[in-house]
Amino acid sequence: MMNTLLSFLLSIRWQDLVDVLLNSYILFRFYVLFRGTVVLRVLAGIALLWVFQRIAVALGLIVTSWAMQGIIAGAALIIIIVFRNEIRNVLQAKNLRALLWGVPQKSVSTPIDAVVEAVYDLTRKRIGALIVFPGREDLQETIQGGVRWDGMVSKEMLLSIFWNGNPVHDGAAMIQGNRITHVGGILPLSLRDDLPQQYGTRHRAAAGLAEKSDALVIVVSEERGQVVAAKGSAFIPIHDNVTLKRTLADHLGASRQTPKGAMRESRELAVAAAICLLCMAGVWFSFAKGMETLISLEVPLEYLNRDPRMQIMSTSVNTVRLHLSGASALISSLRPYQVKAKLDLSKAVSGQNTFTLTQDNIVLPPGLWLSRIEPPEVQVALDMPVNKELPIQVDWVGALPGGLILESVSVVPDKTMVEGAERVLNRASTIYTEKVRLDNLQASGKITVGLVVEPAAFKIVDGNTQKVDVRYTIRRRSD
Amino acid sequence: MMLRPVHFFIVAAYLLAATVPGRSAERVADPGGQAFRLVRAVMCEAIEGYEPIHIGVVFSVGVGRISFYTSFDGVAETTHIDHKWYRRDELVTSKRLTLRPPSWATFSSIQLREADRGPWRVEIWDAQEQLVKTLRFSVTK
Repeated sequence: MMNTLLSFLLSIRWQDLVDVLLNSYILFRFYVLFRGTVVLRVLAGIALLWVFQRIAVALGLIVTSWAMQGIIAGAALIIIIVFRNEIRNVLQAKNLRALLWGVPQKSVSTPIDAVVEAVYDLTRKRIGALIVFPGREDLQETIQGGVRWDGMVSKEMLLSIFWNGNPVHDGAAMIQGNRITHVGGILPLSLRDDLPQQYGTRHRAAAGLAEKSDALVIVVSEERGQVVAAKGSAFIPIHDNVTLKRTLADHLGASRQTPKGAMRESRELAVAAAICLLCMAGVWFSFAKGMETLISLEVPLEYLNRDPRMQIMSTSVNTVRLHLSGASALISSLRPYQVKAKLDLSKAVSGQNTFTLTQDNIVLPPGLWLSRIEPPEVQVALDMPVNKELPIQVDWVGALPGGLILESVSVVPDKTMVEGAERVLNRASTIYTEKVRLDNLQASGKITVGLVVEPAAFKIVDGNTQKVDVRYTIRRRSD
Repeated sequence: MMLRPVHFFIVAAYLLAATVPGRSAERVADPGGQAFRLVRAVMCEAIEGYEPIHIGVVFSVGVGRISFYTSFDGVAETTHIDHKWYRRDELVTSKRLTLRPPSWATFSSIQLREADRGPWRVEIWDAQEQLVKTLRFSVTK
C-alpha cells in the first residue's frame, strides 16, 4: 500500500502540479466572481452532472453516460445564453486585475439604519411594503414595469412610497446604494405550493424574485405587521430591528468590513479554495490516472556516436517494439516523432557487440512510462574499413563458336586496391569484371572491360583503375 | 555450403619431369621453401596418357568434366598438396594429393553441372599450408 502510494507520488510530474493548481485557481476565480449569483448554482449543478456522468462511464452505463454528456453539453451552451447579462456584468464591471486577482468588495453606501427605521415604522403603521436589495445579478429583465425614481434613501421617502395613497405603493421599491432607483416594480410570482397560508401575494412576489435572483427582498405584512426577508429559496423571519440590520448588512456586504466579518469571509474563501483544489485534483486524477492505457509502438532504432572510422556491418534489428503505459489522453495525443529509441555506439568495438536496451535508450514524452522493450538485446557488428589488393578475374559468359577454345587470358592490370570493412574484405579474394560475352569472339584479341565491385560495401580506392585490358588467345581445337 | 555432387578422379602417375618444349611460360617459380618445384599447372578438358588435353581457361558445361593438372619436380620426399576449387570465392571442394620423389604429376577433376556456371579458381596449397599457385578459369553454358 505504502509502495503504491510512493510510486504514485513519484509518478507525479511538475506539469501535473501546474495543471491542477492553474485549473483550481481558475475555478476559484469563477467562484469569487460569481458567488452569490444563480450562475454559480447552475454551474455547481452542471459539475454534479459531470460527476454522475463519470460514475456512469466507470460503471459502464452507456446510455446514461451518453445522455448526461448531452445534457452537460447543452447546459454549457444554455448557461451562456440565459446568464449572458450576469456574465457581462461580471466581465464588464471589472478590470483585468480584478478578474485575475482581487476579491470584489462592496462599498456599502446604503443607509441601513434609515431602512431599518423605515421598515419598523411601516410595521407599526401596518403599511405593507416590498423592498428589493439587488445582489450581483441584473434584475432588469426580472422585474417588470415600475417607475424610475432615483431618489436618496431616507426613512421619510420610504414611508411616503408605501403610503396607501401613493399610486406606486403596491409595487416593489428597489434600493441600490444610497438611492431608491425604481418604485412600483412588479415582481415575478413564485409557483411554490409550500408557502405558509398566511403569506399573500406580496410574499409570493418576494419569493418569486428571490428564487430567480440573488436579491434580498424585505416584505412588510400589511395585515399582521410582520417583517420577512426572502433570499434564495428561504424566508427569514425578522423579529427585531437587530436581526433586520444584520440581514441587510450581510447581504450588502457591510458585515465584511468588520474584523469578524472579514475573518468569516477569509474562512469562506479558504474553504472554497480547498474545495476547488480537491475538485481539480479529482478531475485530474480521473483524466490522467483513472484511465491508464497501454500502447505498443514500433520505433526505428537509431544507432548513434559510432566511431567514424568504423562501419555498421549488420544489426540484429532496425526497429524495436515499445510497450508504453500512460493516461489515455496522453496516449491518444502521442505523435510518432515524440518517441525515439537510441543506441549509443561510442563504446562499441570492432566485431560483434551485444547491447541491452534499457529505459536510458528510449526518449518518451512526459507522462508516459516504458513497460517493456522487444527485443531487449541488440547485436551490432562493426568493422574497420581497410584496403586490400585483390586480383582481377574475367567473368566470361556465353559460348565460343564451335571448334574454338579460349586457351589463355591475361588481365592488365591484374590487381586493384579496394576499400571495405575488414571482416568482409578478409573473406573476399577476387574482383570480377563485367560479364564478357564469348559468342562473338572468333580470334585472339584485346578488349577493355569495367570492374564490378560487390558487395556494395566495397569500393575501389581512388587512383586505381576502374577498367582493365583483357588479352585473350583463341585457337582451334586439335581434335 | 550446399553439397553438390562433385566427382573426383585422381590419377597419380610417375612421370618424368621432362620439360615440354614451348611450355616454359607455364612453369612457375618455387614460391620459397617448398620441397618441390611446380613445373606445370593447367586446366584441361581431359587427361590422356598422363597429359592434359584441350588446355583452356573457359569451359562449357557441356564438356562434362574438367581437370586441374599439375606436375612437379625436385620432390625431395613424399609429401602432399591440396587442390582447392572455388566458385566465386566459395570453396566448393578440396582434394589432398600425394607427391612422391623425384618428380610427380597429379590432377583433380570435377563434374560440371548447369549451376556451376561462373568464374572459378583452383589453388595449390603445400603441406605447410602455403599457397603455391592460383589458376583462374570460367565455366559457361
